[in-house]
Amino acid sequence: MATVLITDDAAFMRMQLKDNLTKLGYEVVGEAENGRDAVEQFQELKPDLVTMDITMPEMNGEEALKEIKQLNSNAKIIMCSAMGQQSMVLDAIQAGANDFIVKPFTPERIEEAVKKVL
Amino acid sequence: MTKTITKEKAITDLLNSTYKSLKSVVPINHEIAKPELLETSLKVQFGVLIGITGDVVGKLVLSGDKSVFGSIGETMYGMALDGEILASFSGELGNMIAGGLSTNIVDKGINIDITSPTIMQGDATLSGYQTALHVPVEFENVGQKDIYLLLD
Repeated sequence: MATVLITDDAAFMRMQLKDNLTKLGYEVVGEAENGRDAVEQFQELKPDLVTMDITMPEMNGEEALKEIKQLNSNAKIIMCSAMGQQSMVLDAIQAGANDFIVKPFTPERIEEAVKKVL
Repeated sequence: MTKTITKEKAITDLLNSTYKSLKSVVPINHEIAKPELLETSLKVQFGVLIGITGDVVGKLVLSGDKSVFGSIGETMYGMALDGEILASFSGELGNMIAGGLSTNIVDKGINIDITSPTIMQGDATLSGYQTALHVPVEFENVGQKDIYLLLD
């Protein structure tokens, strides 16, 4: 069973993502509240996939994406943000993100993205 | 404002982009009343504040009864929300609406970024802005929510 680390500063969104991913058969091994927390948990848990919000306190998702990619260039990361500007999506993909989901998302969009990446 | 964007254009574009975002994020029929200038300080019992930075600087505030936020959450996610999860959902709702606003307004040549949401509970009073607009929004069978656009 593939393992997932969820990153979002909103407890509600972590709950939604965990529910969706668990129903799809994935194991959510960690939940991070900000980018710094995500980088630390990534090193500790070595998940198969990371979901990454962008606008977060302490360290945002773009910085965390870059740090995780430096730790492991093969890390699989799906950005999951309320902001969907083309420039932001392109920056994230260029920095190594595997997909970009714009909130609010549907369970089908989550499934499509995860299946494509894993 | 860092670009040569007039305040009138900024307000028009911010409002139109917010309305478009509201429509795409919240799947409930709603009527948007005419914006009115807020002449006093803003008092909020329950709501969420998102900072706007970039070409336009200000704040977007959504306020309303907790039950209205709860009903919107129930419609969007099919589950009743209360307590900390309701507060967290309310912040996320603000984040999604402001995120949609920031995405939509690029088409008008305005680039903005948004901050993480701040959830306000209790008697919060906001002041210190140059211009404030109040837009009441009536959601069908749910109730009223108020949108405030505060420009520095």
